[in-house]
Amino acid sequence: MTFEPVWGTIIAWYLFLAGLGGGAFITAAYLHLRAPYAVHLIRYGRIIGPVAVCIGLVLLIFDATAGFHNPLRFIFLLTNFGSVMTWGVVFLAAFVVVALIVLVMDLLGKGRKVPLWLDVVGAALGLCVCVYTGCLLGVAKTFPLWNNALLPVLFLVSAVSTGMAAVLLVGIFRSPKEFSSVADLKKFHFWLPVVELFLVASLLFVTASSAESAGYASVMNLLAGDCSPAFWLVFILLGLVIPTLLEWKMLFMSSKEVEESRTGHMISATSDVLVLVGGFTLRLLVLVAAMPITIVQPWM
Amino acid sequence: MARYGMLIDTTKCIGCYTCRTACQRQNDLLPTEDFIRFEQREVGEFPDASIENVPLQCMHCEDAPCAQVCPTGAAHMGADGIVSVDQGRCIGCLYCMAACPYQVRVRNPQTGAVDKCRFCTVSAEQSGTKMCSCVEACLTGARIFGDLDDPDSEIVREIARTKAAPIAGDLTKAKVFYVR
Repeated sequence: MTFEPVWGTIIAWYLFLAGLGGGAFITAAYLHLRAPYAVHLIRYGRIIGPVAVCIGLVLLIFDATAGFHNPLRFIFLLTNFGSVMTWGVVFLAAFVVVALIVLVMDLLGKGRKVPLWLDVVGAALGLCVCVYTGCLLGVAKTFPLWNNALLPVLFLVSAVSTGMAAVLLVGIFRSPKEFSSVADLKKFHFWLPVVELFLVASLLFVTASSAESAGYASVMNLLAGDCSPAFWLVFILLGLVIPTLLEWKMLFMSSKEVEESRTGHMISATSDVLVLVGGFTLRLLVLVAAMPITIVQPWM
Repeated sequence: MARYGMLIDTTKCIGCYTCRTACQRQNDLLPTEDFIRFEQREVGEFPDASIENVPLQCMHCEDAPCAQVCPTGAAHMGADGIVSVDQGRCIGCLYCMAACPYQVRVRNPQTGAVDKCRFCTVSAEQSGTKMCSCVEACLTGARIFGDLDDPDSEIVREIARTKAAPIAGDLTKAKVFYVR
């Protein structure tokens, strides 16, 4: 049997956008705490957060065809609290509400009126959203590539990384001065793809030695199978290694003048775009490369 | 309370798909919707090699992963131990399809809801069919349906005699047993 992935591109977009939205809001809350003078960057994070999550939710509703045709059925989503998806609905709903309140307060009060505690609550909910996207897949025993404790951590790191990249990217073009002033955030952002590289390597090592042969098959799918060009070229090289090298050059090897020049900013922007591309590719690869522990497989 | 189960003797199965067609007719399924999935594989080595046909369908697991993950409660286990999908509650998120280790759930392309083998509960209640149509239709008598809790039933005796077992061992406490 050739296995058709249950979830495809639409769900990959959703997982990516939910993580990006949560990560962007976390970035805004972090800036509120550490760099409150960066009012524009904070505002970009507060806009990107709920907007990205809402776009993801629209995709999700559209993909759930039976519910899309009968919207009242979505009320049933709150009936089985043993399901990770039900918890996801709770976290997503709470996050969107808090994030929109923060956004409205920000826009009305010029960014000075949002209390820190509200940002912290929103960031905590954003964190829950990011981790939930990993747990959603993590509890499916069918797929050894998903059914492990590393995946939610990997998704969380990738989510925060893409969220920060989105905020910084908008910042480069809209408020380059503020972008240059948040060195702390950029150093934090630099380390995330590095951590991700180690998490991906660990995930693949552990999955390949899973008791089920499907684990090995999934890893081989990524490393040497149909998914390998996307895995090596797009995710590992473009999405993780090149941004790490570019940011390393900008943050640690270049003079302040170069870092704050237009060229420097364009290099940072390239790096951020690549992080976003890598984040989406990661979600898509995890969805399509996972092989099920089906009993009868042609190659067994 | 009866605990329904099924035995499928793959050594008798010739891979003719009659069970699948009978099931589609009885349950008014779309031509592209099938509750029974056939797997074939080579077993043994030359010169003692042969093809094994394995019809897979919902195993009505006691530890049903589909019911555990279903966010709306559409996938659920009835009092009779039969796992079913409430078509009026399903939103079509496909979480159950990802959670099912056997890939025996299908999405109805017209409604978008997920469906699967019902152990013919519908026909049993409405028209009084005693057996699942796949059991009655099978040309070689490869299928037996019955009560796993009744020590005198044919299915319990045959499971003991043939040492039939669920296809994935104890994975989900499945109630479909295979002779292989």
